[in-house]
Amino acid sequence: MTCDHLKRWLVFCVVLCVQMAPSSVLSSAQGFENKVSLLLREEPNNPKCFAEGRKDFTCFWEEDEERAGHVGQYSFTYAYQQENSSRCPLRTQQAPHGKKRFICHLNRTQMFVQMDINVRRDGLMIHNRSLLIDLVFLLNPPGNLNVSQTESLSQLLVSWVPPVLKYMEDSMMYQVSYSPADSSQGQVTQVEEVRASSEVVLRGLSPGTRYKVRVRVKLDGVSYNGYWSAWTDPVFMETAPGGVDLLIVSLVFTISLIISLLSVTIIRSHRRFIIRKVWPAIPNPESKFQGLFTVYGGDFREWLSHTNGSLWLRPAFFSSEEYPSAVEVLSELSPSPTLPPKASRAAPVERREEEVGEEKTSRKEEGSGGVKVWQETPHDHWLMEQLRAFHRLPAPCSQSSLLESQDAYVTLNTRQPGCHEEEEGHLDDIMEESSPLEVLFASWGGAGSSESRFDLGSLRLSSASGHLSSGSSLEYPNLTWPPKGPGYTYMAGADSGVCMDYSPMSVSRIEDVGKTLVHNEYKNEIRSERRPVLTRQPSVHTDW
Amino acid sequence: MGDRRTHGRTGEDPLKGTLRTRIWSFPVRLFALLLIVLEWTQPGRPAPLRPICDPRVLNHFIKEARDGENAVRLCREGCSLSESVTVPQTSVDFDVWERKTAEVQAQEVQSGLWLLHRALSLLRSSVTDATLQGHIDNSLRNLLDTNGVLRSLNFQDYVPTASGPGGEETWRVSTAPELLHVYVNFLRGKVHLLLSGAQACQQDVS
Repeated sequence: MTCDHLKRWLVFCVVLCVQMAPSSVLSSAQGFENKVSLLLREEPNNPKCFAEGRKDFTCFWEEDEERAGHVGQYSFTYAYQQENSSRCPLRTQQAPHGKKRFICHLNRTQMFVQMDINVRRDGLMIHNRSLLIDLVFLLNPPGNLNVSQTESLSQLLVSWVPPVLKYMEDSMMYQVSYSPADSSQGQVTQVEEVRASSEVVLRGLSPGTRYKVRVRVKLDGVSYNGYWSAWTDPVFMETAPGGVDLLIVSLVFTISLIISLLSVTIIRSHRRFIIRKVWPAIPNPESKFQGLFTVYGGDFREWLSHTNGSLWLRPAFFSSEEYPSAVEVLSELSPSPTLPPKASRAAPVERREEEVGEEKTSRKEEGSGGVKVWQETPHDHWLMEQLRAFHRLPAPCSQSSLLESQDAYVTLNTRQPGCHEEEEGHLDDIMEESSPLEVLFASWGGAGSSESRFDLGSLRLSSASGHLSSGSSLEYPNLTWPPKGPGYTYMAGADSGVCMDYSPMSVSRIEDVGKTLVHNEYKNEIRSERRPVLTRQPSVHTDW
Repeated sequence: MGDRRTHGRTGEDPLKGTLRTRIWSFPVRLFALLLIVLEWTQPGRPAPLRPICDPRVLNHFIKEARDGENAVRLCREGCSLSESVTVPQTSVDFDVWERKTAEVQAQEVQSGLWLLHRALSLLRSSVTDATLQGHIDNSLRNLLDTNGVLRSLNFQDYVPTASGPGGEETWRVSTAPELLHVYVNFLRGKVHLLLSGAQACQQDVS
């Protein structure tokens, strides 16, 4: 029984050995074949010799089968410098393509010294070569080729184990060949050279691509030299798939969200401002003349005749876009003939408080507004003349050019001027908004209102205070002017661009026709932005 | 302070004598004397040099030697040795080499360097070509630097005796190309093996 057991074990071991041994033999034989074929390509000289390590040395040459002789006919002799020659035993091998291969193998060599090789056949030298063994290394390819992904999307880490050769690791150089595995794209194989290192990072790769990587080794040629080894078996590895990093995506999204919210908030809060700047409103008088364009097709006379005229007398007339222009409508204290020249100037108008009515009571000048007392009825006619004269005069200053560009002339209605609508307390506020100072004349066109007044607004600028204070306007309830049209009183008015802040210091209404005296103190608060316009004529201002 | 100085100048410093005696007390004097003596005698070995383990140093020497070898091959005239010189053997049998100890290897290398230095100096004196002269000067400098590298690796200096090292370790060459060929091979072989296997560099190797 034991013998049988032993026999079985023996057979088993033999079988195992037989199975294992050929694999190593086969691998080495395969390696040798690879090297032979490589050298056949690389080395033109015969015999082709290479060293695989520090101690071994192999030479071979091939001859056609028909012409090759017996191995005994050949002799391979070698001699180191200043030494006697030695002989190397030859062996033959079948080579592909009908060739016979002669191989010489040495297990002990001397390096860094010249070696002279002589191959003879039947005494005749057929090959002759002189070389240094340390310069004909043909190493095995590197082992354990490992390709791995790195943190970067376009990089791969390649590492390998150099062939085991003492003293020679520092003298080795490598070539790493990589290309996309899908070679149908026609991409060029790239080669990276590495020295004295057994790993490298491939850069500049395409993300999400499968790459084929292989390595080969050679001695660098300074101390040792040789041929490039065979390529390792290729290793395939994919680079990390392309795509934006999740963190970057989230950050970008958050920041864009914040920015969009901020911008929306800002736009909403300044919506009106933005709209006004981007799309400025075209001044349209339609709001002030309701129904003028829609009903009457722009016919102003028709519209006037059909409306009660109370609309346009509102302070809405005084649009903010109208520039202030100083208008002098009336003269100062005494209605002297010298006044017209002043009136001809577009000087800031001085406000006056006018005595209205047949009483012809003189007014006291109110200090704040520089209101002057207007004297008597003879003023009235003179006033009209002044107004007409002013009407015809050209605008002497830039402000009056602005004046002309606007509707300086306002036809009055029978209604009371809006500036003196004391009952409507809100008018004060409205007048504040309106920059121009309009001189309004109420028409007495028999509209059923026994009261007719006109106000002359004059504006005086006090540059010192920086804001305008306007005096009260004149009221002429009894003025009969030659009407230019049915129920119209034509007046010359100028926009002063002054927002009138009417603070009634003493306000009394005209109860009867021409009987009452109206005091109005107007204090204008000119917005500071208007000041440059007005202060263009400082000389004029200071006169007053 | 200034007063004291002026005082000192006039020699009226009353503290002068006491200050001296205070500073130059006996222990201080002894210490100063000791320092002087030690500096003068320089006892002990000098501090070890930083080891030069970079292989690129020797690679540089080898490349320059190869340039000289190529230059002498191209040289037509004015590049000959006046007499035959003794040069070290460059052949390396790894089995034999590895059986030798580091000291023996170092001695072999240093004697070879010495021989080469002598031979190249002789060549320098007999060469008239300016280019080759430049190369030889380079080689001579590199030989001295190689000695310095060996010293940095803790190899003791070894100068062969006047009679020269053993005959089996030397050759005789009579032409300039041969000499420079030997020089190149010696650097590539024995010197390179010695330096790459030096113990002082083994700790650095990972």
